[in-house]
Amino acid sequence: MNDWKLKRQILKAGSFLLVLCGLLTAYLFYVTAVEGDELASNALNPRNAAARADIVRGSILDDKGRVLAQNRPDGSRSYPMGPSMAAVTGYNGDKIGSAGIEGHANRELLGLTADMTHMGPISQLLQSDRGNDVKLTIDADVQQAAYDGMAGRRGAVVAVDIDTGAVLAMVSSPAYDPNNIESEWQTLSKQEDSPLLNRAVQGLYPPGSTIKPMIADVALTEHVTDPNEVFDCSGVLDVGGGMSIRESHGEVHGRVNLEQAVTESCNVTFGTLGMRLGDEKLKKGFERFGFDREIGGEVLMTKSHFPAFGSLSQGDQAQTAIGQSSLLVTPMHMALLASAFAHDGTIMKPYLIDEVITPGGTVVHKTTPEKWLTATTPEMAKRIDGYMEEVVTKGTGTAARVSGIRVVGKTGTAENPAGKDHAWFIGSAELRDRRIAFAIIIENAGGGGIEAAPIARKMILSLT
Amino acid sequence: MKEKSLLMAPLGILICGFGVLLLKGQTFAVPSYLHWLPAGGAWLAVLGIAAIVSLFLYYILHHIGLDTDIYVIILTLASIGLTEIARLKPELLVPQVCWLTAGLIVFFLVIRFWRPLRSLLNYPYLLGLACIVILGLPLLFGTEIGGSRNWLVLGPVSVQPSEFGKILIVFFLAAYLSSHRRVLTLPARKILFLRLPPLRFIAPLICIWSLAVLMFVVERDLGSALLFFGIAVLMTYMATGSKSYVFLALLFFGAAVVISYLAFGHVRVRFDIWLNPWQDPSGMAYQVVQSLFSFGTGGIWGTGFGYGHPGFIPEVHTDFIFAAIGEEWGLVGSLAILLCYVLLFWRGIQIALTRQGDSEALLAAGCASLVLLQAFIIIAGVIKFLPLTGITLPFISYGGSSMVSGFILLGLLVSLSRKERGRSNE
Repeated sequence: MNDWKLKRQILKAGSFLLVLCGLLTAYLFYVTAVEGDELASNALNPRNAAARADIVRGSILDDKGRVLAQNRPDGSRSYPMGPSMAAVTGYNGDKIGSAGIEGHANRELLGLTADMTHMGPISQLLQSDRGNDVKLTIDADVQQAAYDGMAGRRGAVVAVDIDTGAVLAMVSSPAYDPNNIESEWQTLSKQEDSPLLNRAVQGLYPPGSTIKPMIADVALTEHVTDPNEVFDCSGVLDVGGGMSIRESHGEVHGRVNLEQAVTESCNVTFGTLGMRLGDEKLKKGFERFGFDREIGGEVLMTKSHFPAFGSLSQGDQAQTAIGQSSLLVTPMHMALLASAFAHDGTIMKPYLIDEVITPGGTVVHKTTPEKWLTATTPEMAKRIDGYMEEVVTKGTGTAARVSGIRVVGKTGTAENPAGKDHAWFIGSAELRDRRIAFAIIIENAGGGGIEAAPIARKMILSLT
Repeated sequence: MKEKSLLMAPLGILICGFGVLLLKGQTFAVPSYLHWLPAGGAWLAVLGIAAIVSLFLYYILHHIGLDTDIYVIILTLASIGLTEIARLKPELLVPQVCWLTAGLIVFFLVIRFWRPLRSLLNYPYLLGLACIVILGLPLLFGTEIGGSRNWLVLGPVSVQPSEFGKILIVFFLAAYLSSHRRVLTLPARKILFLRLPPLRFIAPLICIWSLAVLMFVVERDLGSALLFFGIAVLMTYMATGSKSYVFLALLFFGAAVVISYLAFGHVRVRFDIWLNPWQDPSGMAYQVVQSLFSFGTGGIWGTGFGYGHPGFIPEVHTDFIFAAIGEEWGLVGSLAILLCYVLLFWRGIQIALTRQGDSEALLAAGCASLVLLQAFIIIAGVIKFLPLTGITLPFISYGGSSMVSGFILLGLLVSLSRKERGRSNE
């Protein structure tokens, strides 16, 4: 009998099937383990979005616990403060992505405490079906006062706590309404005044005269002048090459010292200082105040645009010292500059997220304020702060005056190629229980003292 | 007893699976014909009956001295199937339990009436004819469900004749090949490098191959066609050991594939989807692409039972149930299931090796191979290893025909595990 032959053939055919299963196993391993991550994150894969949708997104709260964003029972997101808080909350949409705190604190809002993509079923133990609440440093009153003050004009307002770096207000105008951003997306993204841009941290503007307190600091630190030197302002400064710098409105300041030059915002004096400082010292000064640095995280401040230091003409040096030429800065940075002089020369790192709170009320994250940089010495800071006080008490910034509260500041009226001058006001205020610094810019609005300074006053009043 | 503890596997799967679903607040609807049962617990009562029947069967098998390993593996697969159906289509749970119970009863009947069934092996041509008739039925009276014209609608129930035809094919092949082994292995003629017997001996084989191709083209049932063809080639090789047949068969099938690719649109679409699903990921290739996403999202450990989103795949509870397992149970779970089929197969091959008669050995090997081959084809289709085919995952997918036919197959296999008392070879 060839019985054994049949069995050998059965075994052979069986082994062939097992080899096929082996190949199948290898391919299964390839699909799940090798290509798995790519397939899981494929844009056409609706599973991640569906898993997110299973979680009730946490709320965004202001510093007093007022709701800035929360989920409705039907799963849609509501933003009670609408456009006035848009620069802070941002938005979150399936098709349009996310921005602001909604984007930055996405993981916290969804309660994803760690990267659990490879933990399999274990991750379900750590995942709750409701995300965490995120409590911000923003004060809804200050934010609203600032937004109202803008009255729809283009520009930005920033207010920070000097001692901690906590951002109290961050307004960008014109704003969008995050409540219906998905339906308005097409219009918004094409609109010429770019409402989707967060001007407070991403907008780049010539600082104009608001840069002068810093130039005064740099000039004194570099010993190119001293507080007692008297400058003679004839209204025009010849910067060589047939170019000259003029005072605005054809003013003539006459004989002024540095303090009076800040108070009167004397272009001739600061143009002179700029030329004395030269490229290298100017650049060093800007770097000392962090203008070459950006801030990541939830604040997302972009770094400044510098003129081409190293190849500037005398005219460019003078222009840079009065905040013109091609120098461009963000409003957030100008608020930080103002805070340096009020805070003994150090700048605290700005932050928006104060606490992350679980649905059970446990605080799982609390931000500890940290120093960003030391810009100048306490003595120098005190001196410049004094100069800036004069601006508000009897100079160009009297519109920011609030009785009973010490307010210091510096106005700016920045020339720009787009049309009318940008109105600037930066400064700080000592309230009863906290000290704040702020920066306000209104695009093409004209004089900083008249247009921008009143918004500072409104913000201060909203805090008292 | 050590063997009895194996029953803990299906029991544990059921308890854990249903525990998770009940904790998540899942409820199971009961079809109207069972409304006389207490509401709320009806599904549990039906499940209990199935459990009692299955335990009872276990003791019968044990008592007569038949193989119980295969039976436990089927119960494990079936319990995985039940938990998956309960998770994916809760309203189909009770019908599926009913089908499972029906399968168990049929399984018992096959074992009980094994002797008359066995005598069928003496009538190969009758088997062949029955096979052609059953498979031919949908060609004439078939109804199209889910893109394949392979259903017969008989009043309230729809039957897939191919599910039962496959058993007949195995029966036929075992009977025909064993009685013609010697003739088929005679190298009567030499054509090129192929050694082939006279045409009249291989004609029945060619007939079966053609039937498979016909199903493929006319009924659009690529899965069954592959299955039939595969089992025919495997069993022919098992019986004859001749590579010439394998070569001839592959040549035949290859030609059929090329011709149908050129001639028929739906075949072309199937292959194009397989070759590049990313050309039309939200259209024609939607199912396959979503299935791949399932496996990718599941990764090695899966998302956890009840925490995935298998609902994005159409027909996930039947043909694509393996994708749902891949998503929620991960690679680990998928491989465990594949291992179950391999163990089942291997146990079947062991049984085949102990049989003394050619036809019985071939029948056992054929039954075992058929189950593994079917699992292989559908898993391969779901993960895009092969072009997608519409067949069920044995014992796991939802479906009455496939459940009952699976139990018939394994009833045959288990019957063959009966100890032979020195019976002479026939």
